[in-house]
Amino acid sequence: MDTKELEKKVQYLRNRVLNMCIKAKTGHVTSSFSCAEIMVALYYGGILRYDVSNPKWENRDRFILSKGQASPMLYAVLGDIGFFPDNEMDKFCQADGIFGVHLQCDVKGVEITTGSLGHGLGIGAGMALAARLNKKLYTTFVLLGDGECYEGSIWESAMLAGNYELKNLIAIVDRNWMCATDFTEDCVRLNPLDKKWESFGWEVKTIDGHSFNEIFLVLDRFRTRNLNKPLVIIADTVKGRGIPFMENQPLWHGTAPKDKDAELAKLELNGERK
Amino acid sequence: MITMRDAFFDEIYKISQIDRDVMIVSADFSAPSLNKFVKDFPNQYVNVGIAEQSMITLATGLALEGKKVFVYAIMPFVTLRCFELIKVDVSLMNIPMRIVGVGAGFSYEESGATHHSTEDISVMRVLPNLTILSPSDSIMAGEFAKIACQMNTPVYIRLDRKILPTIYRKGTNFSDGLTKLKDGETYIIATGNMVHRALEVSEKIGAGVIDLYKIKPINERLLLDSISKAKRVVTLEEHLLAGGLGSIVAEIFTDNNVRIPLKRIGVHDKYYYLYGGRSNIQSILGLDENSVTKTITEWVK
Repeated sequence: MDTKELEKKVQYLRNRVLNMCIKAKTGHVTSSFSCAEIMVALYYGGILRYDVSNPKWENRDRFILSKGQASPMLYAVLGDIGFFPDNEMDKFCQADGIFGVHLQCDVKGVEITTGSLGHGLGIGAGMALAARLNKKLYTTFVLLGDGECYEGSIWESAMLAGNYELKNLIAIVDRNWMCATDFTEDCVRLNPLDKKWESFGWEVKTIDGHSFNEIFLVLDRFRTRNLNKPLVIIADTVKGRGIPFMENQPLWHGTAPKDKDAELAKLELNGERK
Repeated sequence: MITMRDAFFDEIYKISQIDRDVMIVSADFSAPSLNKFVKDFPNQYVNVGIAEQSMITLATGLALEGKKVFVYAIMPFVTLRCFELIKVDVSLMNIPMRIVGVGAGFSYEESGATHHSTEDISVMRVLPNLTILSPSDSIMAGEFAKIACQMNTPVYIRLDRKILPTIYRKGTNFSDGLTKLKDGETYIIATGNMVHRALEVSEKIGAGVIDLYKIKPINERLLLDSISKAKRVVTLEEHLLAGGLGSIVAEIFTDNNVRIPLKRIGVHDKYYYLYGGRSNIQSILGLDENSVTKTITEWVK
């Protein structure tokens, strides 16, 4: 897909997520929107290797959505590319559906259960180490929230991955500058986030997480990186990106708009944007 | 005689000579027998440092990719310190992982309450999918290493730190989950090192003794058959009473409408900074031979 088609896909998936969350009256819309371009680039932009007809294909790249609250976006992607019937999205959080607000490992295309934060990086490190030991060429990607980086377990695992020089491990931090109730820098300061990762033995790249060009540039030839270090991409993003009245608003964390807000959200998402 | 952990890792060593997928992930914890493993199988060993969360998550990733992983640390830290990670990664995802803790009860006798493990049974047994094995001697600990290696669901193995006398012959089959070691009118059900205490007490008062070494899932049918003619049952544990072995037996009695009088002996709802050796701690808490004998004799009257 070229950038124009990817932009269209992002727009389609944001609508899909918004509508499924409105219908379910729940779901983390804003957390899903900040990492939409990242997930679309990975799944539609030729970065991840996967086989829809064989979800556990041994040479697939491992994608771990550690910030499990963004599951609506991943489910929308996986349904769209055919891991399961796309109409499952209409049953999000419903009695006859197969998934809810957080990520479940029993859904096709999903590697692990997340929702509790701070698990994914260490599990990804284990998968990356196993790849080295088993002489497998897959790459392990872990998508983290920046708020998730408060979890001490992230830093235990970061230290380990740096020490073991897991160059086949790529973490992407969805740096939307917000945790659940506040802005990260007003809560407990995360910056300098890049220096933290760097001092833990990682190669650090900072990009605009909504720019396909920058995402592709930073992942150019990622399978043959020279540095013997894991790579972390700090992707600068906007929580709620695409719906201006929901952007950067702590109160919109973990909730779906309803009634008039729902209509406004649909309008804004599909309106002109400067 | 050797410690449980040495018996355990000696078996792992043997298995690893054939099966190169066996891995040990340690949170900076060792054993003489483990040193041999580390030296001969360096690619099958990871010391994550004193970082139990990293240990569980890394091991989960390895297990998901087909490795037969053992995680290993002192008992309170391999269970409680990383409990929520065990819940989500191991129990909820039902991943074959072998969680090995050393230091049941007061076996870290000189280390104080941080290192005592008197709540691990209560805490770990609430986790679905998890098997719990609690050996009473090093023969059993070695057999459990083999059993654990073959399992494709998670298992927690609680090892005593001390060298305990041998009860079983090499090659004993432990698939029943419990062994009736002695007959009597009053039965003492115990696990781990307290099985030895039960045997000592039994010598004095002629009680029956049941070694309950598979704490979860319990072989309920065999347990109930074993005590079907008992006049009384005593549970004996070096563990908090809340949720421990006595609770387990009481639950089974209730669920099966068993009316046999039951007495629980264990640690009451308190932590202790006690020293002077395990036997001193036990005698202060009423878990030594004389106290247990007295408690049972008075109860029987």
